[in-house]
Amino acid sequence: MNQIGAFLPELLLIGTAIFVLLVELFFDFENKKNAINGLAFLGVLGSLFSLPCLGNFCCSSSCSLGPLPVQAFNGFLKTDELALFFKTIILLATLYTLLASFRYFESHNIRHRSEFLAILLFSAAGASSLTSAQEIITLYVSLETLSISSFLLAAFMKKDRASNEAGMKYLLLGVFSSALLLFGFSYLYGLTGTTVIAEIGKSLSAQPVSSIEVFAVILVVAGLAFKISLAPFHMWTPDVYEGAPTPVTAYLSIASKSAGFAAFVRLFWVGLSAPSIAPIWIGLFSILAALSMILGNLEALPQTNIKRLLGYSSIAQAGYLSVGFMVGGQLGITALLFYLFVYLFANMGVFLTATIVSSKIGSEQIVDYAGLWKRSPFLGVVLMVGLLSLAGLPPFAGFVGKWYLFSAAISKGYIWLVVIGVIFSVVSLYYYLQVVRRALFLEPKDVSPIEIGPYEKLALGVSVVVIILLGFWPTVMLQAAQSAASSLF
Amino acid sequence: MFSVMVTILTPLTAAFFFFHSPAQGPNHLPVLTTFIFIPILAAFVTLLFSEKYTRWINLIFSAAQLGIAFKVFLLYQTAVGGFQFTEELPWINGLGIHYALGVDGISVPMMILIASVYLAGILVSWNLSLRKKEFAIFFSLMVAGAAGAYLSLDLFFFFLFYELDILPMYLLIGIWGSGRKEYAAMKLSLYLLVGSAFLLIGFLAMVFTSSIHTFDIRILGDLAQTGFSPQFQHTWFPLLAVGFGILLALFPFHTWSPDGYASAPTAASMMNAGVLKTLGGYGLLRIALPALQGGAKEWLPFFAILAVINLLYASLVALKQKDIKYVVAYSSVAHCGYLVLGICAFQITGLNGSVVQMFSQGILTAFAFGLVGLIENRTNTRQWDQLGGLAALTPVIGGLFMAATMANVGLPGFSSFVAEFMVFLGSYQSGFHGGFTIFKILFPLAATTIVVGAIYYLRMIQNVFFGPVKVPVDQESIKDGTFIEILPLVLLLALSLLVGLYPKPWVDMINSSVEPLIDHIGGFR
Repeated sequence: MNQIGAFLPELLLIGTAIFVLLVELFFDFENKKNAINGLAFLGVLGSLFSLPCLGNFCCSSSCSLGPLPVQAFNGFLKTDELALFFKTIILLATLYTLLASFRYFESHNIRHRSEFLAILLFSAAGASSLTSAQEIITLYVSLETLSISSFLLAAFMKKDRASNEAGMKYLLLGVFSSALLLFGFSYLYGLTGTTVIAEIGKSLSAQPVSSIEVFAVILVVAGLAFKISLAPFHMWTPDVYEGAPTPVTAYLSIASKSAGFAAFVRLFWVGLSAPSIAPIWIGLFSILAALSMILGNLEALPQTNIKRLLGYSSIAQAGYLSVGFMVGGQLGITALLFYLFVYLFANMGVFLTATIVSSKIGSEQIVDYAGLWKRSPFLGVVLMVGLLSLAGLPPFAGFVGKWYLFSAAISKGYIWLVVIGVIFSVVSLYYYLQVVRRALFLEPKDVSPIEIGPYEKLALGVSVVVIILLGFWPTVMLQAAQSAASSLF
Repeated sequence: MFSVMVTILTPLTAAFFFFHSPAQGPNHLPVLTTFIFIPILAAFVTLLFSEKYTRWINLIFSAAQLGIAFKVFLLYQTAVGGFQFTEELPWINGLGIHYALGVDGISVPMMILIASVYLAGILVSWNLSLRKKEFAIFFSLMVAGAAGAYLSLDLFFFFLFYELDILPMYLLIGIWGSGRKEYAAMKLSLYLLVGSAFLLIGFLAMVFTSSIHTFDIRILGDLAQTGFSPQFQHTWFPLLAVGFGILLALFPFHTWSPDGYASAPTAASMMNAGVLKTLGGYGLLRIALPALQGGAKEWLPFFAILAVINLLYASLVALKQKDIKYVVAYSSVAHCGYLVLGICAFQITGLNGSVVQMFSQGILTAFAFGLVGLIENRTNTRQWDQLGGLAALTPVIGGLFMAATMANVGLPGFSSFVAEFMVFLGSYQSGFHGGFTIFKILFPLAATTIVVGAIYYLRMIQNVFFGPVKVPVDQESIKDGTFIEILPLVLLLALSLLVGLYPKPWVDMINSSVEPLIDHIGGFR
């Protein structure tokens, strides 16, 4: 039975994207730019509200779209609580990205807006369907929809060398990693004779572990680790983050990464969770997580460009997130989801601020953030709250996230990983504070105020309020994350 | 005009909250939560109103907090003992974290310390001109963090409230500080975070090794005999103690503190040196000692050695300083040595003395930093060689500085005398009556630092206040302390004298909680 709830969000996104393109092509009227922007925004908003709701969370169980889980296409797409949580994150990230793009369009005078918006929505549709994919071909197709759109977005500034370089680098490495992933999938299919993830899991736990299986797992890990920029597959990240248009960078660092984690969780904790093979990839991930936390944080220290800094910081954050993922179980996945949710608001606050600031001052250098508090106290506060939440300092929600994450890791005995995580959190505070220091302590060279639009103000305000509120009172959000995690464990 | 208003308003508000604030019982607001949230509320209200009202808002809120602190002090039933005024709410179910607050005889005096330093800090920064709204907000948040940490009975909230202080402190030093302020701010933040990294790992290891998986400090403390293996205690006690030692600025982890205090604005130095630093000692006593008593018994002599090195080293370094704020900063580092020594004696008198020292050290360090702030304010310098004969120009400040000197040396009548006497008695008994033998050597070494303390303070006062008048600015421009400047200092001094002259109610209250603790951990009597 096909339930429309299982693919309504994607349908809305794709429909909006096509509609945006058609409007651009066939209509000509005053305020067309704003109309197209508004259309895209409404499309994502509608998609967000069309998510089938958790019976106990937002509305009663007698929801018109039916209670969870909903499924379609022989169960190839199934939206359970876990997929729902990831979809919420991805769509919220897309909303923030849209807001940032509107500002970016104005400051960079971009002509092909509708194409940009349409590609962004296609990409979001891919990411969104990835979270509910229950079968490896569906998963792969969704992933490619996401990736190929992202390559285009990264290279969107045709006249800009850095953007072109970013797009090319991202494309070459991305295609290579997709090939690895597909290669791994082919082995998995060969070993089990099925492409349904749950069936793969059953079949693999019935047979002894073979070297082919280990090889396939390594290929899959390598292919997907690229998408979430885990060290040592992170080389592309800083260059692409620096070169791509800032809203795209924000999108890559959150939506794309969340989708990657959704694929990881589904594929590994359902398909490869057999006791014979699990210790192998868990060990592999503990090394990758440790490497990412160490390399990401250390390499962020000397950065002078805010986007490069955030690039390295996102590598480190991927390391922290992977700790939650590899610990697994109810605790670990709850930690991962909560951390991701907080990461969304913190990172988006920072990226939106960075877009606004650089659209005004025309620079992405951290030194040029000096005296932000005088030019816009509000942006100064947002920047501080976002960055320090990433560092995990109370009273911001990042602290609760890290506490939960480390608790989960220690409860499974990974003390060494926690030690690395905690030490490099301290290191990370140093470079985050370097930005905060400039923004809040120093006097500006130019004192002209930076204007913020009403929607941007709302979005930034929401991210600050969410971060502080979840820092003091995470209870409800943790419960939602728990119920999402319990759909697997 | 202002001074009249301050004199009337402060006691009135304090009295109002003393009589009308919530107390125990189901129909009342929880008093401890109120105590913690008053500064947070102050920060919000400050944010909403114009800058004109900032100092008045904060004055009223801090006076209210002081009123509540005294109320809890009087209502606490020493005869019953244990944790009182407790509050408990489930917070994070998956991990067993509760929002749990409570006070016992050890933390009640700390409430008075926090509230009075808060009030003093607000009054000391009365005439601040730079970004005063933000200053008041960050300062209030810092107070809230300190208050929360002292009252929490849950490891998560202890840690959260403690770390809540780091950001305001960083900003206070970085924006309103002096000298190498950015360096000092960064150094202090990173050091404290490294310290809390030890604590975080230690706490989580404790919680998940114990069979119960609870973050409740009381339950973890009771687990001691059965909960943690000797091997675990042996490994983890020193890690926790190092974590707390970094917060406390224990040698060799002390270097953040003199730099930090010297660069910080006066109110922040008072709060940090007076209240936050002692949190290290408090945590050691509240968390590490009861839960890991076996490990404590093995390791405490080692930390006692560090404490004595701390005492000697900081005192000697203070001798060499030419900057009066650095002298006070090193003297506060040295005084924390007494605190640790008292805890390490593992003996009832010593432990009581340690708690009195927490209170006394807090009051007196804040007092001394306040005075240094006044001098710096007037002369724009803190260097000895540029100053001289100030007593002729500012007799009141000079008189108060004399009092600070006497208190620092530990003359009878001041709270420091009570504290240091008890610490020495405790370490003497630990050395000579069946406790740790090492104290036979440590006790006399520690006692010599009293003399060194007298030397550096007396030399400073001689250079700065006596002799021919010498100031780097126009002599005519130097006025004695105004009423509002002097008021907070007199308040702190009065508290110290109150404890020093009539210590019985304070020591009784502290002892009511220390005695069960000593019995529980099997300490020496």
